[in-house]
Amino acid sequence: MRSSSRITLVAEMETLGAFRAFIERTCHAAGITGTTVDDLKLAVDEAAMNVIMHGYADMDPGSLMLELDIGDGQVEVTLTDFGHPFEPYDPGIPDADTLLEDRTPGGFGLHFIYQTMDDVSYRTDEDGNHMVLVKKLGAA
Amino acid sequence: MFSHLRLRREPVKVGPDPREMPILRLDASPTLPISIFAINNLSENAKRRLYRTLLPPPLLMRFRISPVSWKDVGDVPRVRLDAAPGSSSVAISILHPADATEPFFLLELADNNINGFELNFISLHDPDGPRFDVDRDAEGNQTHFGTVRRNLAEEEKAMHAGLAPIQLRRNLGAAQLVFDQLELFMAFAAHQAYSLEPLTYAAAWVFERRGFAYVRGHKLMNDIQREFQPGGRLHAALDGSTPFRQPEQWRTVRGRAWAIHDGILETIGLQWDHLRMIKQLGKHAGVETFPDAVY
Repeated sequence: MRSSSRITLVAEMETLGAFRAFIERTCHAAGITGTTVDDLKLAVDEAAMNVIMHGYADMDPGSLMLELDIGDGQVEVTLTDFGHPFEPYDPGIPDADTLLEDRTPGGFGLHFIYQTMDDVSYRTDEDGNHMVLVKKLGAA
Repeated sequence: MFSHLRLRREPVKVGPDPREMPILRLDASPTLPISIFAINNLSENAKRRLYRTLLPPPLLMRFRISPVSWKDVGDVPRVRLDAAPGSSSVAISILHPADATEPFFLLELADNNINGFELNFISLHDPDGPRFDVDRDAEGNQTHFGTVRRNLAEEEKAMHAGLAPIQLRRNLGAAQLVFDQLELFMAFAAHQAYSLEPLTYAAAWVFERRGFAYVRGHKLMNDIQREFQPGGRLHAALDGSTPFRQPEQWRTVRGRAWAIHDGILETIGLQWDHLRMIKQLGKHAGVETFPDAVY
């Protein structure tokens, strides 16, 4: 059975805890437990933190919307914000210093998210900036 | 796959430049957004057909105005369309058959700087309700929504009559019809969202209920909610010092809205300014910054 749930809160650090609780609650209701839930929470934490720190930088924070769509053997998570958009870029060959590039102003390293998710996409459109994370159920 | 995202400081255009998009090219793709500018450059009859989708037929029929001809039973035109060629905005208004001086419905929509849609203004009131002259002072000067000057006597009367700040008359109770119609127009024009600036706290709360999210100002709304609670600084500032700052006003949306209109946010170093909201087509964001609110 397919289920969709959505929560929209302000883009600030305190929201991360509410998002984690929402993911846990929604997944448990769908019978999903264990590592999958932990991976989703970790990936959303990382993605949301970047939006909070960079996407809404220098402005009164707007909304951050988290949607979970469960079905077809996967969980699809969409994180939508309305702040400054991001764009893909190639940081070049990393050296020792760039191990910390996740936290450089305006940057958004995705390797944490790639480690836990099966697919990642990002688009900016008229209706916001959308990061879509897919976690296959039953996958390691 | 991309491994990194970098912050982009410049806004991303969501549609073609309106000036480079003749309407006749639109049969190339039905998903290509249409601009107000492009529609305004059509013939009068063509744009009238298209803008007709902005008006809910049940609203017009309630006043016995034909949704097709826009005329009342006396064959008098009651809908006014301002959509000049070369302009990037459209204003559409409805006049009550018994009052040709002031529209009871007014909607202004415009292209914005990212080629999306901006709802510049929307007003819908009951033309049979008493009018409160909060839009002009005792000398007849415009108050500009109470930002430049205020008509305190009229505002106080309006507040006691149950109106929110900047409202001239009571609500008509047809806002949902209008917003549904607006979404239909968005879909027709292939736009996925539209934005607006809520002029008052009450308006922001209403737009939340209509499914809007915040581009800017979500935190401000949360701060307002927190500070109006007992023990909060806004709660303490409801000290009876003006008719708009009475102690019980924290309990209702309208009460808070009047206090904010009266400048109470400045007592805690905040301002009602630069809020921006967005409505995604077909989606209710579910924002609720004043849970279990009483209007």
